[in-house]
Amino acid sequence: MLKAKDTDSKTLSTIAAGARGRKSSRRTVIKGIGAAAGAAAIGLHAPYVHAATKVIRFLNGEPSAESVRAMRFAAAQYEKESGIKVQMDTIPAGKAYEKVQASIKSGRPYDIATLIFVGDVLILADEGKLVPINDIIKKYEWGPRILFPMKGNNYWYPYDYNLCWINCRQDLYDAKGLKAPQDWAGLMSNLDALQGSGEGQLPHGIVHPIGSNGATNYTAFGYMWANGVKLFDDNWNVVLDSPEIAAKAGEYLDFMNEMTKFMPPAPVQAGWANLVGDFQTDKISHTPGTGRLIDTMNVRMPERAANVGSFLFPSKGGGTFAVNHGYDGWVVLDTAMTDEALKFLEWFSDEHLINFLHTSPVHYQPTRLDIYEDARWQAHPALEQFKHITAMQKQVLSDKNIIIRSIDTEGPEPDVRAGKVFRSYALPEMLQNKIVNGMSNADCIKTAADKIRATIAG
Amino acid sequence: MRGESVLYSIFGVAIALTALLILYPAYHALELSFQDLDSFISEPVWIGFDNYVEVLAMPEFWNALGRGMVFSGTTIVLQIVLGIGFATLLDSAIPAKPLARGIAVLPYLLPTIIVALTFQWMLDSTVGVFTQIARVFGYNYIPWGESSGAAMTVVILLSVWIWTPFVTLAFLAGLQAVPGELYEAARVDGASAWQRFWHITLPQLRPVLTVVLLLRAIWMFNKFDIIWLTTRGGPLQGTEHLPILAYRKTFELYEVGQGAAVSAISFLILSAFILVYFYFFPLDEKE
Repeated sequence: MLKAKDTDSKTLSTIAAGARGRKSSRRTVIKGIGAAAGAAAIGLHAPYVHAATKVIRFLNGEPSAESVRAMRFAAAQYEKESGIKVQMDTIPAGKAYEKVQASIKSGRPYDIATLIFVGDVLILADEGKLVPINDIIKKYEWGPRILFPMKGNNYWYPYDYNLCWINCRQDLYDAKGLKAPQDWAGLMSNLDALQGSGEGQLPHGIVHPIGSNGATNYTAFGYMWANGVKLFDDNWNVVLDSPEIAAKAGEYLDFMNEMTKFMPPAPVQAGWANLVGDFQTDKISHTPGTGRLIDTMNVRMPERAANVGSFLFPSKGGGTFAVNHGYDGWVVLDTAMTDEALKFLEWFSDEHLINFLHTSPVHYQPTRLDIYEDARWQAHPALEQFKHITAMQKQVLSDKNIIIRSIDTEGPEPDVRAGKVFRSYALPEMLQNKIVNGMSNADCIKTAADKIRATIAG
Repeated sequence: MRGESVLYSIFGVAIALTALLILYPAYHALELSFQDLDSFISEPVWIGFDNYVEVLAMPEFWNALGRGMVFSGTTIVLQIVLGIGFATLLDSAIPAKPLARGIAVLPYLLPTIIVALTFQWMLDSTVGVFTQIARVFGYNYIPWGESSGAAMTVVILLSVWIWTPFVTLAFLAGLQAVPGELYEAARVDGASAWQRFWHITLPQLRPVLTVVLLLRAIWMFNKFDIIWLTTRGGPLQGTEHLPILAYRKTFELYEVGQGAAVSAISFLILSAFILVYFYFFPLDEKE
């Protein structure tokens, strides 16, 4: 390297001397340039030396500044301990699958990646692009409906449940002496009590997006799951329009239609921004969402965050409740660095996962049951402050009357068909047909069921 | 000789870049359209024209094609009409002409994402500026996202707002080439302003009009960003045209082959249009 630098400087001196007055022939100039090119070629050894360092390429799908910081800290720590660099790229989780595919096609696949759909994991596993992480998974005890094993193997490490429930203004509840609703009538009653222009009232009760988008898929169907609606039977036949399920789905549609009188106008136009913004700006008293809302408010408006209460999606008759599943996880790809990636994932899981979860403590609900008992996790002040919410989260994992469902995890086993239904927006369209187009329940449900059939047949 | 070699080198680079960035991706997309694929990393299975048969049998394909025609046709007509109008105005003796010309171009300078997000918030049913104005007049809100017609109207108006300045600029440039003597002669003959516009300005702008119409047709038929960012093709697929259908098939519904088939058919339709267009409006009219 030093030699290369010396050669470089001598060559440059020669050229410079020539340029300063001595008559330089074309031959001199060509020789000078040739020497410089040779020196540069020798110099190219430098990056080659650096490339000898082992690098794990990690696609992070959690773009919040805190999460990225925690990941980078862990990566730096790992490099210090093992000498292996963890190079991290960060993108929104919704774009991770496309990025993973692009990395595979380009011949430089990521070694670890974040994915947020079981269907995506399944396709990658089926194509032999993922390696099982059974040994890591076996080390821990896991909560229900989170591992999604495929053909006896675990291909992903879920790090949070990402459950959707209903957040509400606890201060207004307390002022009016209201309790968390146990059924749909109770929720309607509470919405009615808190909507208006009087003392302790807000302009609207709740917002539920109903447009064809992810916000609707994630936040609008909790009541439907609680009411016992299923999309498929055990053989992947669509049962949404079967007499038994259609009756329950019809009740749900009537309920949602009735609830629009408590919503800001045009729920078709509502999205993630309304779910958060309308709640934070005192336009609605309830909003479906996750702990992310609480974590965000706790940073920016802590006194308001302290007034947030939460409850689960109730069913029509009460007794059963639901949360909508979100889930996020990591996969290890089949690459030259697979072994090192597995070692890193195991190390991260033991040493740094809790730090990562603490970057949004109420939102990142642990998937591993041992973490709930871990003093390191419990030590975060927000978990003590919002213990009523974390208690609810824990209850979800053990209470048999609470249903954890989502469109993309419907069906008898993990399958890409459920993912297709999620992205076909058949169920948001069912809501739009009811609420915007005024179609009958039977027609809405039949249209949705037919679209689901067509979607999974494709 | 030396000049020729430079010319060939530049031409060679252009050919290489075209092959790399346009021809190969187009070939690859065509190849994908004959394959059964869940994802870009799936093992491809050759299925001939099955994807095309399935796509052409789908009502959603024909609906998307129809919406694309409505969207591109309406936006092009409005852009051309308004563009010629603004160009004529900006070419006339108006005060602060340079400033007016600068302001007229502004919408074209804004990134589409900014325009889409800004208009979404302006139309927001709770806090939007337009909603507040509507309330002054006794309306609760503007239901722009609740019906296909209203959503299509919004994306059309947005598209016209953003891209009319391009058309204006093109026509303004064309107007600079119209000899002033023609207008003077017409005035001497007693032609009215409308007659001067109809018999001098428009015919003189025909070469520009031919090119602008072609470019706008290609761009608007393939326009993806403004619709996707504003309505994502909704409500109830009310603004879903072929590019959005292709995207949804490919990236959301795990049907890469069908998505590629939609793109290929879209490409064929556009190519056919261009051939017909050149037949009726040849750019080179020397003969």
